[in-house]
Amino acid sequence: MRLPRPVQDKFISLLGAIYTRIPRQYRPAIKWAVFGTLLRLQSLVTLRRIRKGRRVEFLDFEIANLEPFETLDPASNQILVESICSTVSPGTERAVLSGLPGARRSFPYQPGYSCAGRVRKIGKKVSGVSPGDRLVGRMKHTSLSVLPPGGLFRVPEAVSCEEASFMELGIIVLQGIRKAGIRPGDRVAVLGQGLIGQLSNKFAKLAGAGRVIAVAQSRRREATAIGRGGADEYVALAEDPTAVDRIRADVVIEAVGTPQAVVQSLQCAIPGGKVILLGSSRGIGRGVDFKGLAQDRGIDIIGAHISAMPDRESSPGRWTYREEGELFLRLLEEKRITVSDLVTWHADPSKCNQVFEVLAAGGANHVGIVFQWSPE
Amino acid sequence: MSASFFSGVRNEGSGRKAKEIAVEPLKIGIVGAGAIAQRNAREAVASGVARLAGVFDVNHKVARNMAKALSAPFFPTIDAMLASPDVDTVLISVPHHLHRSLGVQAAGCGKHVMMEKPVANNLEEADAIINACKANGVGLTVNYSFRFLPKIQRAKRLVEQGALGDITGIQILQHQYKDPGYWTGARSNSPDDWRASREKCGGGFLIMTTCHIIDYVHFITGLRTERIYSEYGTLSSPAEVEDIISIACKLENGAVGSLCASSIMRGVDQNEERISGTNGTMVLDESGITLFSTRPVDGLKPGKVHRIKKFPDVSWTAEWVREFATSIHESREPAVSGLDAWDNLAFITSAYRSMEEGRAVQVPIHPARSGERER
Repeated sequence: MRLPRPVQDKFISLLGAIYTRIPRQYRPAIKWAVFGTLLRLQSLVTLRRIRKGRRVEFLDFEIANLEPFETLDPASNQILVESICSTVSPGTERAVLSGLPGARRSFPYQPGYSCAGRVRKIGKKVSGVSPGDRLVGRMKHTSLSVLPPGGLFRVPEAVSCEEASFMELGIIVLQGIRKAGIRPGDRVAVLGQGLIGQLSNKFAKLAGAGRVIAVAQSRRREATAIGRGGADEYVALAEDPTAVDRIRADVVIEAVGTPQAVVQSLQCAIPGGKVILLGSSRGIGRGVDFKGLAQDRGIDIIGAHISAMPDRESSPGRWTYREEGELFLRLLEEKRITVSDLVTWHADPSKCNQVFEVLAAGGANHVGIVFQWSPE
Repeated sequence: MSASFFSGVRNEGSGRKAKEIAVEPLKIGIVGAGAIAQRNAREAVASGVARLAGVFDVNHKVARNMAKALSAPFFPTIDAMLASPDVDTVLISVPHHLHRSLGVQAAGCGKHVMMEKPVANNLEEADAIINACKANGVGLTVNYSFRFLPKIQRAKRLVEQGALGDITGIQILQHQYKDPGYWTGARSNSPDDWRASREKCGGGFLIMTTCHIIDYVHFITGLRTERIYSEYGTLSSPAEVEDIISIACKLENGAVGSLCASSIMRGVDQNEERISGTNGTMVLDESGITLFSTRPVDGLKPGKVHRIKKFPDVSWTAEWVREFATSIHESREPAVSGLDAWDNLAFITSAYRSMEEGRAVQVPIHPARSGERER
């Protein structure tokens, strides 16, 4: 028997009103009970089963934990995906975890936006997706997700879920590389050798760069940067800070996300060259000599954040989010790009506290960190 | 008497896992029959790995009464006790200035030495006791038995599991009220005002009472103190030793600590130790352990304040005796070694020296520890 919608709404809003009148310090203790009750009521009235899962949550600054959660089975327009692999986006997730400028969030916060898994159940009105299909897309670090299938991508047969779980990061880099307009033989410098930087090395090479120079503070991530399809040369600025003036790149990809790195990127560019701001900039740069660094030298500065991408077709020549995602998966399928060689930590989700503690401290020598939720 | 073996149940501090061990019982001669000695003797018997082989005190009346109450032989002199083949260990609970002579004499007679804290009044005396025990191949332990409290064992485990990360700070607060009778011995069964004497006691509230906390905080953190600055005074007690002290110190890893203690806080006692680190904070007080950690440790959720209040009811002194008996049986150093007690005394005597010299002082390291550190 289904309760009329107005009755459902009234009851739920009544419970919500009671909850918000409880003093804040007592809310966590009863939160589980209140939301559990609401979920069960919803389960009863919608005849949808309750599923139990685990997900990574940031409980506060620099505290991650694997938390249990409950959710309902998919509604008629939704699907249930059981995660296989999710890839950590080191820049964004570290920024939230550590409260870096421009990344303010309230806690608890559920991180993650690049995850691949297998469809377990589909809603009545869902078409084109079947249980057993492997999909990838914007899903969090969680053992299961219930969501509409529209934003997800089918993982090609020849591609593993681990590789596919890099897709969101691949899209971030692809749209930046596209805006860079790399020409055959260009000298390309990539500043920052985290995961975004090392993916940039590979895509720049694929786009026809003549020489890719990986630039970082230290050599701790050199081994993966110089790997298959990666950079041709590695420059550690800690050893020689003046090296930036000798790099003279036609195109510079800034993949750090700090004001200091933007300045260094401008220094790395040849007069008339281009600097692509790919890193999510955390911080406010003041006192930068833009005239001397950019204007006098005719440098083009191009903003290339994923948030500026069109979701769907807008104008000719602009690649959409979906097109970039499909291209990334195709390149993986055709073995024209590899990402598994960038994985330095296959982490059990139960170790997420340790993973994010390392990340908050700078990530050590890690590049790609993948949570393995279930076997491939 | 032929040696029988007790099948002692060794409690691992928290009482989580009891381990059956077969330990030859210690045949303990009790030296000193004051209030602490009586308590120590009862707990030694309760440990299940010791029997009382005799009682000696210069006050024959209290010694006889104690011997009778505990059904143990009375010895009129220390020489008689140490000559007895039925005594293999002495448990010395006497004024501090007597520790050296009794400890060295007992070791010279081949007896294992269990010393009431502190090991001695100064480091030279402590060296003499440690060296005598080593030279004669006998065991030495000092009664820093609070280490065996389940709360302290749990705290140490949590720190070892990384709950606090790297230790950054330590704060110790211990304030009590000691009435005049404490200093004059008016409430003792063997009245003596040795506690008020610097020469006999070595110091005041710090060496007499706070030494336990100094021991277990270092035990929990696994760190030693490197430098100390202190201020102390005798403000309202009939004594020549301090009744209030404040210490600032730096630990070997750079952590900064403080200690405030007094025996003149009337009405409300205060006992609290706060240990903080890069990943959490732990507060030890009479209610138990309060822990906050950014890490999921020991099944506790991170990012939450946990209050750990329930601990097994364990006799810490009996645990201390049991552990010492086991160490003798296994021919190894006891959990509370002479060197641990030496380190504790180095902290205390450095605090006194700092005040006397009006400057921060380095806490000495025992030569044996220097070797350990180099290794």
